[in-house]
Order: sequence, then C-alpha cells, then structure tokens
Amino acid sequence: MQSRHYHPQATNEMSSKMLYGAQVKTANIRDTSIQPYRTKEESFEFILPEGVRTVDITVNLAYDVVNPDMRYNLHNITRRVSLDR
Amino acid sequence: MKSWILGLAVLAVALPGAAMAALDGPKAKTIDELAKMFDSSRCKSCHSQIYEQWEQSHHARPMMGVAGGLKDTPLAMKGATPFSPDDPSKATIATFPCFKCHLPQAMTHAEDSVAVEYAKALVAQDREKIGKLQITCLVCHNTKAIVHRLSVGNPEPNVLYGSKDVANHPDPVFKSVKRSDIMQQPLVCGQCHGLGPNLEFENPVQCANLYGSYLHAYIPAGGTQSCQECHMKPINGIADHLIGPNFNDKEGTIARYQKTLSLDVQTLGYEWLLQAGKHIPKVVVNTKINSSAGHRIPDG
Ligand code: HEC
Ligand code: HEC
Ligand code: HEC
Ligand code: HEC
Ligand code: HEC
Repeated sequence: MQSRHYHPQATNEMSSKMLYGAQVKTANIRDTSIQPYRTKEESFEFILPEGVRTVDITVNLAYDVVNPDMRYNLHNITRRVSLDR
Repeated sequence: MKSWILGLAVLAVALPGAAMAALDGPKAKTIDELAKMFDSSRCKSCHSQIYEQWEQSHHARPMMGVAGGLKDTPLAMKGATPFSPDDPSKATIATFPCFKCHLPQAMTHAEDSVAVEYAKALVAQDREKIGKLQITCLVCHNTKAIVHRLSVGNPEPNVLYGSKDVANHPDPVFKSVKRSDIMQQPLVCGQCHGLGPNLEFENPVQCANLYGSYLHAYIPAGGTQSCQECHMKPINGIADHLIGPNFNDKEGTIARYQKTLSLDVQTLGYEWLLQAGKHIPKVVVNTKINSSAGHRIPDG
C-alpha cells in the first residue's frame, strides 16, 4: 500500500516536531492540503512480484476527521490491471 | 384574573429585554449569565427555518464541535499547555485564547469568574453546562456585524444587523435591523476563520487559517465567490444557516465532500525496461484530485 496525506502541518518553530492542537501550534511549515484551482496529481508505481501478471488496484480517498479512527470514505475506485494483451 | 394573565405576559416579554440591556451593562459573572445575555431562543418563533439549521451547525456548539469532544480540556489541566493554570480556580479569560473565535463574547462580555467556571466544567467534563456556550444569532448579527468601527461606529446594543434595513423589526428587544456593509462579504466570516498564527497572545496560537487560504490561494487564482455564496445558498429563498458541513452528520458530510473533491484514476500495466534483457513488471496508477472549494481542504 502507498499513501499520501493532504493537510497543513505545523510546529511551534522551537523544534522540528510537528504538533497537533491550537494551543501549541505556531505556524504551518508545510502544506500538502488540496488547493483551489490546483489539481493534485500523483503517480504511484508498483513493481509486481515474480509470476504475477494481473492485479486489482483500489484507490481510496478518505477524510480523516480529527484522527484516522473517524474516517469518512469519499471515493473507492477499483480497476483490474493486467500485463497480458 | 385577567390582569394577572396580562402581567405574566408582560413579564415574559420583559425578561429577554433585561438580559439584553446587559450587553452594554455589567459583564457576565457566570456561564448562565453569559448564555442568557446572548440568548437567541426567541428568534425561533419567527425565523424557525434559520433557527433549526443553526441548531445543527458547528456555530451552535463551538466548544465541542466534533463528536462531543471537549477540545479545551488540556487548557484546564495543570502543565498540559503553556496556558494551563496551576488550578482551575486560578483560570482567567487569558487562559483560553480560543475564546477569540470560538466564543468571542467571553472576551468582551465576561468576567474572569466565567473562565473559572468553564475550567471547572472542563475538568468535570460537564457537557450540559459547556453546551450553553454558543455562537448565537446575536454574535453574528450584532457584535461581529461591524468591523469598520472608526468609520461607522460600534454595534448598537438594541439593533440587529443584516443585509438590509428593517425599520420595524417585531422583536421585543431588537426593534430595528440595520444594513451591515459586510454581512454578505467574506470579512464577516474572516474575523473567526483565521489568517495564520495569532500573535497577540502571550504564547502563539494557531487554529483555523482558512481565511488566509481564501485570501492568498483562492483570490490569486481568480476566484470571486464569497463564503456566503458557497456556504449559505438560499433554501426556500432564505440563506442556509447550517453553513455546512456538519461533521457530526457523517452521511451529509460524505455527500458534500464527494461533490467537492473529484478523483480521476488512470492505470497502466506494462513491462518496464531499465537494462537490456531485464523487463520489470510494473503497474502505474495516476491520480488527479480537483477541488471546487474556495480555500484549502482540509484546514486546521
Ligand atoms: C464568531 C466567530 C465565527 C464567525 C463570525 C463565523 N464562524 Fe464559522 N465557525 C466558527 C467556529 C469556532 C467553528 C468551529 C466550531 C467547532 O466545531 O468547534 C466554525 C465552523 C464553521 C464551519 C463548519 C466546518 C468546521 O470545520 O467546523 C463552516 C463551514 C463555517 N464555520 C463557515 C462560516 C462562514 C461561511 C461564516 C460567515 C458567514 C462563518 N463561518 C462565520 C467561528 C465563526
Ligand atoms: C483564529 C480563530 C481561532 C482561534 C484563536 C482558535 N480557533 Fe479553533 N477553530 C476555529 C475555527 C473557525 C474552526 C472551524 C473551522 C476550521 O477548522 O477551519 C476551529 C476548529 C477547532 C477544532 C476542531 C473542531 C472541534 O471542535 O473539535 C478544535 C479542536 C479547535 N478549533 C480547538 C481550538 C483550541 C483548543 C483553541 C485555543 C487554544 C482554538 N481552537 C483557537 C477558530 C479558532
Ligand atoms: C455565523 C454567523 C451567523 C449566525 C450564527 C447567524 N447568522 Fe443570520 N446571517 C448571517 C449572514 C452572513 C447572513 C447573510 C447571508 C446572505 O445574504 O448571503 C445572514 C442572514 C440572515 C437573515 C436573512 C436571511 C435571508 O436570506 O433573507 C436572517 C433573517 C438571519 N440571518 C437570522 C438569523 C438568526 C435568527 C440566527 C440564529 C438562529 C442567525 N441568523 C445566526 C450570519 C449568521
Ligand atoms: C416576532 C417575530 C420576530 C422575532 C421574534 C424576530 N424576528 Fe427577525 N425579522 C422578523 C421579520 C418579520 C423580519 C423582516 C423580514 C423581511 O422583511 O424580509 C425580520 C428580519 C430580520 C433580519 C434581517 C434580514 C435580512 O434580510 O438581513 C435579521 C438579521 C433578523 N430578523 C434577525 C433576528 C434575530 C437574531 C432575532 C432574535 C434575537 C429575531 N430576528 C427575532 C421577525 C422577527
Ligand atoms: C467557491 C466556493 C467556496 C467558497 C468561496 C468558500 N468555501 Fe468553504 N467550502 C466549500 C466547499 C465545497 C467545502 C467542502 C464542504 C462542503 O461542501 O460543505 C468547503 C468547506 C469549508 C470548511 C470546512 C473545511 C475543512 O477543513 O474541511 C470551512 C470551515 C469553510 N469551508 C469555511 C469557509 C469560509 C469561512 C469561507 C470564506 C472565507 C469559505 N469557506 C469560502 C466551498 C467554498
């Protein structure tokens, strides 16, 4: 499995540790959130194990509200991909 | 008998009046006093659709917005944050910089004793009491309705502000509605939806900074819509006061974000040639996500 996380990330700028919580966050140091009018493009590559020529790929886009325990699934797209023509 | 009933009716009308007079009177000493001062429950009798939407909104539960979580709890716990007092009884309004946006009336209309009561309620996890603290109709339609205070003056205590003038507003206390220049502008929301770090406190605080994203990402990209145009589209001809999403409504939130965020997936299976004679079986998955929001998703 490969994943990407889209969200603003903040520290207190006194250390390199990312922090959660308005009371300790000071400013964003990185922002991977989805921006207006800007396509978020990714390219994932999987090298198949010996002998495998067909795989099922599932792409899942989910919104983690508060934390990953509260996951709202938005899109699930499944495709069968084969190397055989 | 008749006059007794009459007297009662007058009393019922006068009560909110007495509470409202306190807006420019002494500050609230207790959570109940603060809640009463900004109480909007009587608006429901005439603005029922708006009221019912607002009741489901995050603005109606700003101290426990998601799944009932009491977000300010660490601030009441000794040592847990830079703001935490040694004991809840020592809390002051400054203990909770969060009030700036989550409960702005506490900064302007409450004594430190309200912060003490709030800190104790957090320690006791008293959701009933904390639930009384809300961003009511009066917060947006009075205290937050004017920002150009030098140009147009402070909000008047017995006037509501809307998108138009209503000379004879039939409310017992707010007998008129005046037009606010900003009510239909992003600025009214921007007061609380954050520009970046809040540096006016003794320690910096950063929560929402979505208004910053609107100003610096959406506007430069050519976006022209206001927060209200996207979030308060009229339902039955009246501005939607759910001002969604409501994250406690899982199905509704999912439906909204499915529409907002589109996902395109392209796949390819092939045998990659890195070195002569050595094909590597590979699958490539290309994804594209587009958003129709007027700012980053997610924020915070
Ligand atoms: C008085 C401050 C204040 C004003 C003014 C205000 N908001 Fe909010 N808003 C908040 C707070 C605080 C929350 C989050 C409450 C919680 O869940 O803890 C919130 C929540 C929301 C949410 C729900 C999503 C979320 O992440 O919680 C939306 C959407 C929203 N506001 C849009 C608006 C729009 C649009 C306007 C202007 C018409 C506006 N707000 C005006 C303070 C404000
Ligand atoms: C600049 C205004 C502002 C300040 C200051 C602020 N918040 Fe917020 N907060 C918001 C707004 C607006 C939202 C909802 C919208 C969003 O997240 O984009 C929010 C959302 C939240 C949420 C997620 C919703 C929920 O209720 O679970 C938490 C948690 C939170 N704030 C905690 C805090 C704490 C703790 C503080 C004080 C240390 C604080 N905030 C200070 C404006 C602010
Ligand atoms: C978060 C801020 C906020 C809160 C809370 C809020 N309003 Fe509003 N209200 C607005 C804004 C902004 C508009 C203008 C929307 C527009 O015209 O697009 C508005 C519009 C209105 C209108 C005119 C609607 C129309 O379409 O004709 C009425 C009436 C009103 N509000 C009443 C209320 C009442 C009653 C409450 C409490 C139950 C309330 N509002 C709570 C921000 C708020
Ligand atoms: C007795 C009925 C009644 C009560 C109670 C009442 N209103 Fe109104 N309100 C009206 C009427 C009628 C209008 C005018 C509607 C129109 O002309 O479109 C109005 C208009 C408004 C407007 C202006 C709408 C706009 O287009 O900008 C706002 C804001 C408003 N009311 C807020 C409130 C709030 C907040 C409360 C509670 C404190 C409240 N009202 C209580 C009947 C009432
Ligand atoms: C071009 C339309 C558009 C504009 C302009 C816009 N929004 Fe949004 N906003 C959306 C959409 C779409 C969502 C996704 C949820 C939904 O559909 O309700 C969203 C989500 C949000 C959220 C939740 C963010 C999260 O973390 O998931 C908040 C809070 C919010 N908007 C506030 C505002 C405020 C405040 C403004 C003005 C400064 C504003 N929005 C301007 C369309 C818009």
